[in-house]
Amino acid sequence: MSLVVFGSGPLADHLRTGVVVEEPSAIIVPAINADSSAIATHELDDAHIESLFEQPMRSVIQAFQEAFHSGSRRIVVIVPTTSMSGGACYAATAALAEASRVLVKSAARQWGQNQVSVNAVSVEPRWFGIDPMIAGPVSIAAPALLNATQRERFSEQVLLPRDLNEFEALDPVPLVTWLCSSAAGTTTGQTLVCDGGQWM
Amino acid sequence: MSGRLQNRVAIVTGAGQGVGEGIARRLAAEGARVVIAARRAKTGEPVAQSIRDSGGEAVCIVTDVADSTSVQTCVDETVGHFGRLDIMVHNAFTGGRPHRLEDADLTKHWEDMSRTAVWASLVCARASFSHLAASSARPAGEGAGRLVLVTSPSGVEGSANIPLYSAAKAAQRAIAKSLAREWGPQGVTVNCLGPVAGSPALIQAFERNPALQSAIEARTPLGRVGDITADIGSVALFLASDDAAFVTGQTLICDGGSFLGL
Repeated sequence: MSLVVFGSGPLADHLRTGVVVEEPSAIIVPAINADSSAIATHELDDAHIESLFEQPMRSVIQAFQEAFHSGSRRIVVIVPTTSMSGGACYAATAALAEASRVLVKSAARQWGQNQVSVNAVSVEPRWFGIDPMIAGPVSIAAPALLNATQRERFSEQVLLPRDLNEFEALDPVPLVTWLCSSAAGTTTGQTLVCDGGQWM
Repeated sequence: MSGRLQNRVAIVTGAGQGVGEGIARRLAAEGARVVIAARRAKTGEPVAQSIRDSGGEAVCIVTDVADSTSVQTCVDETVGHFGRLDIMVHNAFTGGRPHRLEDADLTKHWEDMSRTAVWASLVCARASFSHLAASSARPAGEGAGRLVLVTSPSGVEGSANIPLYSAAKAAQRAIAKSLAREWGPQGVTVNCLGPVAGSPALIQAFERNPALQSAIEARTPLGRVGDITADIGSVALFLASDDAAFVTGQTLICDGGSFLGL
């Protein structure tokens, strides 16, 4: 069964090699270049907006269209949780991620009649190289699953979470694989968060 | 006038009609000195004149929010004229024609919306930041920097008719959250407003299709669409006022309760 992954970089490569599909599927990974995207908003010039938002967003829209026209029955868009949390100095990047995430809902509404399911998977910002301290989930509550740093930080207020090896349990491949399966046909327009319960 | 915004200076983009006009009128009624930032003096100047006739203070500055230089000029002229800027409301928007996502033409269906919603939100933020921060640095009660972005319920729940519109409006919400985090230390709040109101465009749509009005009213718990000044302008006033000093990064949907999905 065919799988097309739109996007490049370590996360796209990881999904390309790891996801197994039961239905013709497409995965869209927006081109977030975190190395250059942490810029104070009042210092963003038009060239920044063009490279951090406009061009990547146009590529996302074109990927949606290509996925539909090529007969994909499952479309999964991968975004950092920064889409929902925002991020200081990441305004343009967060805009790209959230626009992509909500476009999933619109596509799901239009393409449901074509038997196409469209969903988003929201992952830890670090998958995109984004600093989670300024562009990750904001909560005074502890995550459900803790990595070593979080365990130290929340040790006095948390009772139950088990240890979380860095990234091991945050791997989106199993979730994306399920969304590309026959079983996921009626799950559409959703955002499934795969970050160990940091964003709720 | 009760003067909740006495001495404050506000720019409202797209204030020549509709929601922007309603917001401008409501802010002016509370004592704000208001800049009607409209693309055409033909629509903006009558609104400014009407506010002045009612005892308020307003000027029209012709502004094309799709042009970053025009936005910067508007901010500069505002500060030159009034000496300060406390409140920036970005409401102007162009686009929103129905389309199928698979057939959407980026030039025809995306460019205007991206320019006027996403780019303009960032450009308005960029141009106004130093003035909003200066406002928040004033003694309590004498200033408070506020950025309000007008978005849409579609930016939360998507749209079956105009999918790219929902993407552009969602982007504004992410910008607001990001700026809330970024500008919080300077005391500047950033929020979104998601109205469903009797704008000229919606009223025209009702006239063409009375069943649409009935359908919207039927699905709305309060049974009507919002008034641009009394309903929508008042929410914008709250976000712009000192009463909302501890509210930032939020989207306030004001649509009579038809959207309950946040």
